[in-house]
Amino acid sequence: MPPNELMTASIPTNRRSPPEENNMNMHSMTVRGKDRYKSGVMEYKKMGYWEPDYVPKDTDVIALFRVTPQDGVDPIEASAAVAGESSTATWTVVWTDRLTAAEKYRAKCYRVDPVPNSPGQYFAYIAYDIDLFEPGSIANLSASIIGNVFGFKPLKALRLEDMRLPVAYVKTFQGPATGIVVERERMDKFGRPLLGATVKPKLGLSGRNYGRVVYEALKGGLDFTKDDENINSQPFMHWRERFLYCMEAVNKAQAASGEIKGTYLNVTAGTMEDMYERAEFAKELGSVIIMIDLVIGYTAIQSMAKWARRNDMILHLHRAGHSTYTRQRSHGVSFRVIAKWMRLAGVDHIHAGTVVGKLEGDPATTRGYYDICREDYNPARLEHGVFFDQHWASLNKLMPVASGGIHAGQMHQLLDHLGEDVILQFGGGTIGHPMGIQAGATANRVALEAMILARNEGRDYLHEGPEILAKAAETCTPLKSALEVWKDVTFNYESTDMPDYVPTPSVAM
Amino acid sequence: MDVDTTPMTDAVNLRDELEAVGIEEILSQLDRELIGLKPVKTRIREIASLLLIERIRKRMGLASGAPTLHMSFTGNPGTGKTTVALRIASILHRLGFVRRGQVVSVTRDELVGQYIGHTAPKTKEILKKAMGGVLFIDEAYYLHRPDNERDYGQEAIEILLQVMETQREDLVVILAGYGDRMDKFFASNPGFRSRIAHHIDFPDYADDELLAIAELMLRDMNYGFTPDARAEFVRYIALRRNQPLFSNARSIRNALDRLRLRQANRLVADLDHILTADDIRSIEASDVLASRVFGKGGKSAEAG
Amino acid sequence: MRITQGCFSFLPDLTDEQISRQVQYCLEQGWAVNIEFTDDPHPRNHFWEMWGLPMFDLRDAAGVMMELNECRKVYGNSYIRLSAFDSSHGWESVRLSFIVNRPKEEPGFRLERHEMAGRNIRYTTRSYAADRPEGRRYD
Repeated sequence: MPPNELMTASIPTNRRSPPEENNMNMHSMTVRGKDRYKSGVMEYKKMGYWEPDYVPKDTDVIALFRVTPQDGVDPIEASAAVAGESSTATWTVVWTDRLTAAEKYRAKCYRVDPVPNSPGQYFAYIAYDIDLFEPGSIANLSASIIGNVFGFKPLKALRLEDMRLPVAYVKTFQGPATGIVVERERMDKFGRPLLGATVKPKLGLSGRNYGRVVYEALKGGLDFTKDDENINSQPFMHWRERFLYCMEAVNKAQAASGEIKGTYLNVTAGTMEDMYERAEFAKELGSVIIMIDLVIGYTAIQSMAKWARRNDMILHLHRAGHSTYTRQRSHGVSFRVIAKWMRLAGVDHIHAGTVVGKLEGDPATTRGYYDICREDYNPARLEHGVFFDQHWASLNKLMPVASGGIHAGQMHQLLDHLGEDVILQFGGGTIGHPMGIQAGATANRVALEAMILARNEGRDYLHEGPEILAKAAETCTPLKSALEVWKDVTFNYESTDMPDYVPTPSVAM
Repeated sequence: MDVDTTPMTDAVNLRDELEAVGIEEILSQLDRELIGLKPVKTRIREIASLLLIERIRKRMGLASGAPTLHMSFTGNPGTGKTTVALRIASILHRLGFVRRGQVVSVTRDELVGQYIGHTAPKTKEILKKAMGGVLFIDEAYYLHRPDNERDYGQEAIEILLQVMETQREDLVVILAGYGDRMDKFFASNPGFRSRIAHHIDFPDYADDELLAIAELMLRDMNYGFTPDARAEFVRYIALRRNQPLFSNARSIRNALDRLRLRQANRLVADLDHILTADDIRSIEASDVLASRVFGKGGKSAEAG
Repeated sequence: MRITQGCFSFLPDLTDEQISRQVQYCLEQGWAVNIEFTDDPHPRNHFWEMWGLPMFDLRDAAGVMMELNECRKVYGNSYIRLSAFDSSHGWESVRLSFIVNRPKEEPGFRLERHEMAGRNIRYTTRSYAADRPEGRRYD
């Protein structure tokens, strides 16, 4: 996709737009001098939270909100209120502001644009001084930015769309414990996506039965198997059982194939102490990877990331629960923000969508998430929903995971949409294979290797994909039957979250 | 590999074929950019035609194996051998006789080592870089030192000969150097002689060709001779040719560099003069005449 | 048993023409290709012996194929793999690696279990080939 010159809408940059472009952004209304601190109630936009002349500093954190004011509420005032409530303001003027360098600490809304094709919604750009945040704490960042404002009455809805994190702030975080490159070196796997599968059924398997599935899948050719998000320590299988049988399976499959294998042992538990205990046991058994759920909270995630870095462990994050706040377009937090936070927090894997599978994911938006995970620099690309230039300052790269309703017959599309540095997880697509789990795993691995081979040979693999797969299936019965069983399975539903800016062809200059 | 996937045919429109590969473009570029060298250009046209037909024969299933394309370029320094090698490489590339078309230019030092076991890796290193293109070995006769039986050059020669024979489809070797020395080299290394398909001799440039070259080079640099300067430069060429270490176009280039230096000095010497673009462009007779070539001695190596 | 390390081990052994196309892909990405061989394919034996240095600045796969054939002449009954190195910032590691030669017989690995307290087991993977001295493992 060529860069931003194809946009229909203007590109919001960090700079203030010229007044004629958008007359909403014209005046500062800030009350100055002694009137500013007269007791009583004052509009947010007059208190210094609306500063259209403000030019964000390189060290500012910038947040982009989608603001939907209640009927009759001035969008500028609503946006200023968001800036105020996410920084220093309270509902009334307080004299104690005068004991502080208040102007520095006030978040400044410096730009408000109507959202294209969405009447009643506005994009508010708000800059925060870096001193508002504790270094290296997602809890503090999120408490500031989304802690207080989402229930604010004058707003119908509010969504945090994107953030620009200054390099100075990025550098206060550890970042992914392992990173894509080191993960590949440790696993000794280069040049192709990694393959995984979530053990199914999610619930009810005993430790011994569970380990069987792991062994079959790994021996058949997968690199990883995975616990599901809610596999913790239930009556049907306590965690130590799972860990012991899984590691027997991993080691057996390793000896049978000569390849390094792993299984994401989910250490999610009720307390940090329990999680550490489980993680330590996984390490003792020689696992290369552990797993946590997003629902354990940002602080717990950061703690586990530090533990993982200290203990040479790859850290898989299952984004359990994220859809409760990422999916709706008008309210919540976009997943691209969560992805940025998780790269800072330091996980190594994150589920980021499949495009073609059963879970939510528009291709352009998903592409934006993948770029956030894998690139050292993200230029603003509105058509992918990426609003800001973001430098990652050589923070490790985060491996995206594609999981949910995908199968071998889609290999060419998956490779085209998601690229090479990704983990493709075929749960049903492995375990549901008519010839058994090993055959399912082999089908996926053969399909993948055949596709990479063809791509590297310069073939038009996206269009010739079905032929390439059919050819590979000639020498691989499991692939042949996988292609047969799932040939018509697709999930074509309208996405609920798509970029607001769509590229249109324009005359070449 | 670039496998020719065009189906076998039994009729070919030569004009279409020629246009399709874009050879004419390279040949006319050669005509345009290289002054003189008539016999060389003729030879290259012949080779290009041969290869074009060979390519068609291949398509008709009439070709028998990869043709030998190794060449020798003989002639004095500065007669355009390297430039022509670059053009030959792109002709070979367009016609599909080499896959990449790069030219790797080396001399003995890059092929031959200093101690036992050093030469083979060095030669192979160069060969690997030249695969898919042209290996241009300048002053190739230095590879062979008849006075020293244990010279490591012999090892490089053997590796080269083997690759020239067995990997004809992977690279083309051009051996270059002075004519008389190359003759001796081939006489004592019949292996090379037999593997070289095309010998091209590069004649020295005539005086008027050297003048034309000088004017072309000056034009490219946005300079020009005044009529007087031009006349003096004609004299300069005639004198320079008979001095030691004359190397055709290369000597002309060096002379022009010194002319520019002297012109700049002359201009700077008169700070009160208001300069026009013409002043800055013009090389004057005095700039030429200051050359030592016009002096009595004319002994210095690369006389100024 | 067939060791499935590397990118294409689940496909039928690549022909030289297929290998050459993969090499060409690597060269076109600007990666340096290295030939490595071993008689101990333990999954954590990362450092196979190097057949010369990684080949920098090559334009055409024929150069690599020439070396590969030399290597096969000497180590035809060992594992040989090609690895491509990417020097760009942020990667600076291997980008593609695949096996291009195998011994006639691949004896595989023995899994040893060392039983410990609390049902805990320490696992050790041993190459059967490595039971014999280096250089005679596939005689």
